[in-house]
Amino acid sequence: MGSRTIGIIANPASGKDVRRLVARASVFDNREKSAIIRRALEGALNTGARNFAYLDDSHNIAGGAFGEIDGDFESTLVPCLKTSSALDTTRGALSMRDQNPIANLILGGDGTSRAFVKGWREAALLPLSTGTNNVFPILAEATIAGAALGVLACGGVSEKEVLHRAKIIDIQIEGEAEDIALIDAVVTKDQFIGSRALLNADVIERIFLTRAEPTSVGMTSVGGLVQPLSQDEDFGMYLILDNNGKIKVRAPIAPGLYENLRIKSIERVGFNESIEMIGPCILALDGEREREVQAGQAVKMSIGREGPSVLDVRKTMELAANRGFFT
Amino acid sequence: MSEAENKSVRELPYVMAINEGIKEVLREQKDAFIAGEDVAVAGGVYGYCTGLLDEFGEDRVVDTPISEKGIMGLGVGASATGCRPIIDLMFMDFVGECMDEIANQMAKMRFMFGGKATLPVTVLTMGGAGGSLAAQHSQSLEAWLAHLPGMKVVMPSDAYDAKGMIISASRDNNPVFVVLNKASLAMTMEVPEGSYEVPLGEACVRTQGKDLTIVAFGRMVHEAMASVEKLKAIGIEAEVIDARSVQPFDTETVVNSIKKTHRALVIHEAVKFGGIGGEISAQIQEEAFDYLDAPVMRVAAPFSPVPFSPALEKVYIPSSDSIVTKVKETLAL
Amino acid sequence: MVAKKKNAKSNLPSQKVLQELHMKMVRIRRFEERAGKMMEDGKIPGALHLYVGQEAVASGVMQHLSNKDWITSTHRGHGHLVAKGGEFKPMFAELFGRSTGYCRGKGGSMHISNMDLGMLGANGIVGGGPPIAMGAAFSNRFKKNKNVAVAFFGDGASNEGSVHEAINMASLYKLPCVFVCENNGYGEYTAQSRHQAIVDVADRASGYGMPGVVCDGMDVMAVYEAAGEAIERARKGSGPTLLECKTYRYYDHVGVRGMGLTYRTDEEVEEWKNKDAIEGFEKRLIQLGVMTKKKIENVHASVGKDIDEAIIFANESPYPMPEDLLDNVYNEET
Repeated sequence: MGSRTIGIIANPASGKDVRRLVARASVFDNREKSAIIRRALEGALNTGARNFAYLDDSHNIAGGAFGEIDGDFESTLVPCLKTSSALDTTRGALSMRDQNPIANLILGGDGTSRAFVKGWREAALLPLSTGTNNVFPILAEATIAGAALGVLACGGVSEKEVLHRAKIIDIQIEGEAEDIALIDAVVTKDQFIGSRALLNADVIERIFLTRAEPTSVGMTSVGGLVQPLSQDEDFGMYLILDNNGKIKVRAPIAPGLYENLRIKSIERVGFNESIEMIGPCILALDGEREREVQAGQAVKMSIGREGPSVLDVRKTMELAANRGFFT
Repeated sequence: MSEAENKSVRELPYVMAINEGIKEVLREQKDAFIAGEDVAVAGGVYGYCTGLLDEFGEDRVVDTPISEKGIMGLGVGASATGCRPIIDLMFMDFVGECMDEIANQMAKMRFMFGGKATLPVTVLTMGGAGGSLAAQHSQSLEAWLAHLPGMKVVMPSDAYDAKGMIISASRDNNPVFVVLNKASLAMTMEVPEGSYEVPLGEACVRTQGKDLTIVAFGRMVHEAMASVEKLKAIGIEAEVIDARSVQPFDTETVVNSIKKTHRALVIHEAVKFGGIGGEISAQIQEEAFDYLDAPVMRVAAPFSPVPFSPALEKVYIPSSDSIVTKVKETLAL
Repeated sequence: MVAKKKNAKSNLPSQKVLQELHMKMVRIRRFEERAGKMMEDGKIPGALHLYVGQEAVASGVMQHLSNKDWITSTHRGHGHLVAKGGEFKPMFAELFGRSTGYCRGKGGSMHISNMDLGMLGANGIVGGGPPIAMGAAFSNRFKKNKNVAVAFFGDGASNEGSVHEAINMASLYKLPCVFVCENNGYGEYTAQSRHQAIVDVADRASGYGMPGVVCDGMDVMAVYEAAGEAIERARKGSGPTLLECKTYRYYDHVGVRGMGLTYRTDEEVEEWKNKDAIEGFEKRLIQLGVMTKKKIENVHASVGKDIDEAIIFANESPYPMPEDLLDNVYNEET
């Protein structure tokens, strides 16, 4: 039976950075990530999927899951750098693209999806939360997520029906490599990338959001609790924070961690509009300090809908059920 | 011992003398606490921790997990940083679980740090056979500990000494192992109330005699004393020395006795090979060779793990009869 | 904690802190380089386990500690002592086996310590430190002070039962203790993948009922921030943290030779050296205007001069006298 390939990517580093300490969360251990993949595989296999490709993560998370399953399927190990940094996921995405998967199961937080998309922008994704900030990934039982991928891979639904393009922020830093963000690009007064996490609400100056979600934690909640903006609306939101800002909001900037913030202005940013600013600053992208901008260096950010496609699990399963796919 | 002279005295079993010793330490030293398996809520498996939790509270009477490395490490770290812990190691056999913390950390830290560290930690532990507890809960391993420079090891043979030595150990500024004996727990004798010391490193002549010196450790003192009566019946007067302290060992008291008796027999419950008796015999021959009329002899357990069956265990543990036999041999009778 | 901080300025590390972090790392690096050289030249007896490559970990953690906070170290302990405030003269004197050493020549490299600085010793036993740190943390709580105890240990030690027991007890008693695992990828000469089935030692934290955090041990600011959170948490009575710092030892397990070895590749060593903690930090300090290139050069020069002086001091110091041997086997004070 011919089924399209499903890509599988697990981020070994997700769910164990310093935010687990600042926020109220314990370490997300890699054994559980492996178990999640195993459950997703059961879902996919039971809907008829037979072809898989998985990134060779340095912790053998995906490999371990395949090793525990017997059955008639093909799994391809996709080589990956082992720098123990986001670069592994970004470069791995390029290698995964060569396998031509119809969609990719991604285990991690916002940062994991961002790293993957940085390497393969048009990828179709089903991101599952195993991170600390999980706005982009969905909360779903892995078995069902795997089943939905299986339905798609076996042609039970069409890509057009269930894949939706996500918004994306493009960032240009003068004289340096460009960057992206899927949820938020934040300008801070920090001096170092350090432990990467945004630990300090007081140094946040500006927040550029693709989505302002009152139902999520992280930077998206700062806008979301004031003026929600959904994934479906074709514009972004730009907040300028200031100690004298008139709008006060107490927002969960990390799981279990609320902070007071004062917002001076909130603006819509239309597609193809752009925001420009001059360093020095640190840019935090999708929840982590990522880029050092030097004094005098120009930064330009814009938003559009040229991001990755995301699989709608509910729609996939409902369409397939109504079509008798499972009976 | 002068402290004890004015105090009222009553009969007390060995186990409750231990209990009183711990209580006196916790009362007089604000930096002292006791930590070990089952010591708080349960009152200790032998009962000598009874009432500690009620009187001193859970900050000072600390139940631990079954984690001897952790417990002994707690003793090392807390004593080096200003506390005076009493660490309870339920069975002496468990030193194997924490020998690194004992041998490489506790005993050596002061020396390794050039004298900058002081470790006033007392370890209570229970040795000895006799209850069919078999090979892993019956051993006498004092020689292992006495082999460690930096460690003091004492073996109180009776209730009076148990209480006094626990108090002395806790006042000492060194790690001290107080090796208790489980077969002696119910033995009663007169014990003073309140606080008193039994000095570490001083042996005690339990009975005087002219024909032979018996040096006995821990519970073997009682077997030696029982043998004295039997020897009297055949006209032999033995002098019994309760060594009390293994490390430091009171060679002087032993040598002085041998100068009078010219013969020596060393008795311990541990196996003979590599036991402390070999060391004592050697010291006697180094210090008092000219006074000896016979080779120094030993009575100790055979070179076997402690057996389970009561029939075998009886054979295993040195007894007053085996002492009598060896005394006769020493005197060439 | 973050929520209580009011002033944005106070949240960013001051120039003084940044310069101290830099100074700590440079002092460790230069000390270790020279010590390694002296060992190769036969000037230092015995074995040296050198800390070169791992400087960011000791420096980032120690920046949050005072002399009243305790640490336990590993057999790779010089770096911890330098970062805790150890002075070069008594340190070199100790490595040379002289009576002016911190341990009067009784301890040497593997047991170097200074109680006055809160340093409970390097430890020749892998996994020897954590139970002692746990005991020191118990002591802090017993005495109701606000001091913490930090146990440094490696990925190799994380497989020792003593470490497991210590972490479990610290969590059980909610002690003011931080367990810093310096995962340098090797337990002696055996790669981590050959000695444990996990890659993140921090994964074990949830099994002990405590937070586990992984941070980049080649980035002093990453360590500084993460350790700051863990230490503050311990100080205020919220219990221990398992903080894993991914790092690398440039030199061999013992001694200096770091390349051309059977158990790891030269490429791997080069990859880690590309992430060198000191070089990266210096570049950033210049960008931020915290230090000039000239000032950084001066730091290196003055540290080098201190080392020269310390070596002269150590060389001129007397050996312990034979009669010193039996001193301090026991404490004779009553």
